[in-house]
Order: sequence, then structure tokens, then C-alpha cells
Amino acid sequence: MVNDAGQLYTMEGVAAGVIMLLTVYIVISTTSIYTPGDTHIPDMQLEQLGSDVLAMMDTPDTNGTKSALETFVNADDDAGFESMFLSYCNAKASGAADDLHMSANVTYRDGNLIKEHQFLAPDNTWTGRESAVRVTRWVQLDSQPGRTTYAGARAQAVLVEVLLWRA
Amino acid sequence: MACMNEDGQWIVLMGLLAALGLFFLALIINQSALVGQTTAEGVLEFPKNDIRDLRSEIFDYYDDYGPLQTLGYLDDVEEDIVRISLERKNAVVYFWDGPPQDVSGRLLRPVTIHYYNGVTEYDETVYY
Repeated sequence: MVNDAGQLYTMEGVAAGVIMLLTVYIVISTTSIYTPGDTHIPDMQLEQLGSDVLAMMDTPDTNGTKSALETFVNADDDAGFESMFLSYCNAKASGAADDLHMSANVTYRDGNLIKEHQFLAPDNTWTGRESAVRVTRWVQLDSQPGRTTYAGARAQAVLVEVLLWRA
Repeated sequence: MACMNEDGQWIVLMGLLAALGLFFLALIINQSALVGQTTAEGVLEFPKNDIRDLRSEIFDYYDDYGPLQTLGYLDDVEEDIVRISLERKNAVVYFWDGPPQDVSGRLLRPVTIHYYNGVTEYDETVYY
């Protein structure tokens, strides 16, 4: 004789079984643990920040004048470039300034060769193990007789490459 | 099922529902890191800033078109852009212009820009 006593115990047993199966599935399928550093979110933010800083520096104050970036690159003025770049990218709305560091290269074409000029050497926080991002900006230099840096006196387009990291 | 007390079945059932609710909340937290990662990788992979920068450099080139032509540096600067893009940005870049045309009363030059870095291809013709 079949009776219907204990139906809830049966249901409970089934539910417990489903929960255990799901737990085992999740444990087995989690082969790695994600931390915020793995997800590239800070890299994306840093890259956007660096690109925006370079875009700001490459914007002239008034129409027809040269941008700060073009002036620094043309004069090979690494100190002025570093100070402006870091003051822009370390600026915060409130509290202490951020702690970003940078180095920079300028890539130019000399005849058939693509060459690099070390514009700004990395400071002593650089160990080679930082998770640095690279941001770039094209700069067009007018022809200037007597210029010896980059590809010489001719008018040229050079690529400024900045390596940016958080110390 | 003799001697088993069946009081409090609603409490057991509600306990089960609460457990399931917590389970789904945990699942959402578990997925959130993955969602952030795919978004960030999508943003990093798409060369938005590269393309914008290339466009502004090409516009700089056409801003200076007259002086560059007078001094004979047009081909040099174009070769700079094309070859440095390939070497340092892994991007095939090419651009050219046509004869100036009358666009709403202004004489503008159609500039065609091609960019391809193996993942993203970008082509446009802009009157500048």
C-alpha cells in the first residue's frame, strides 16, 4: 500500500542533491581565481589616461601656434616634457597626488632605417617588472635648418611613445 | 515514515528559497570580474586612440601641405607616417588625396585614409 506521508522529506532530499551538484560543478569549473590585476581594468584606465594627457599636451593654446608637445619634442626638452606630463596625469580632484611614473622614446625614420631616440630615461622606480602601458602620439615637426636630433633638418613626422606605470 | 514530525514545513520551504536566492547572488558576484575583464580587453584591443591620432596627424600633414610642397618634403613625411606605423604600431597605413573639389562653397581636398592592424580595419574619405 502506497501512502503519501513524507513528501516534503523527499523534496528536501532532491533539493539538497541539486545544491550539492551545483556546488561541485562550480568548484570544479573554477580552475583559476580572478583578481582585479588579472582583468586588465587598471591597464585600460591607465592607457586612456595617458592618451588623454598626450592629447591635451598636443593641443595648442590658440590656432596657429605650436602645441607644448611639439615644442618639447622639437627642442629635445625632456625635463619640460616630464614635468608637464606628470603634473597632468598625477593630478587629482582632491587628496594627495597620484604616483605614476613614465619614460619616453621618440621613433623617427632616417633613410631606410626606423630609429629610436631615448627622449626621457625611466626613473629609479623602474625595475622592469611593472605592468606598464604604452601610449603614443604622432608629432609633426617643421623643417628647421641646423636641427641635429631625429632625422635632421627636414620636416618629419615622429612618433612619441610613452611608457606609463604606477609605482 | 513513522514517528517523523511534519511540523514547520513552511519554514523549511522558505529556508530553501532563501538558500537559492543567496546562491544566485553569489553567482552574480562570481561573474562580475569576468564581465569587467571582457569589457577592459575589448577596450584595450580596439585601437580607438591610434586611429584618432593617425587622423589628426594626417590632418596636420594637409594643414602644412603648401609649405611641405614648396620645400619638397611631402613624400618624406608621408613615408615617415607609413613606415613608422608599420614598424611601431603593427599597422598598415596608407593615405592619399584627390584634386580639390567645391564642397558647399569651399574648396576641399578628398583625403582617403586606410588603416589595418590585423584586427581592426578602418577606411574613410574625408573632405579636408
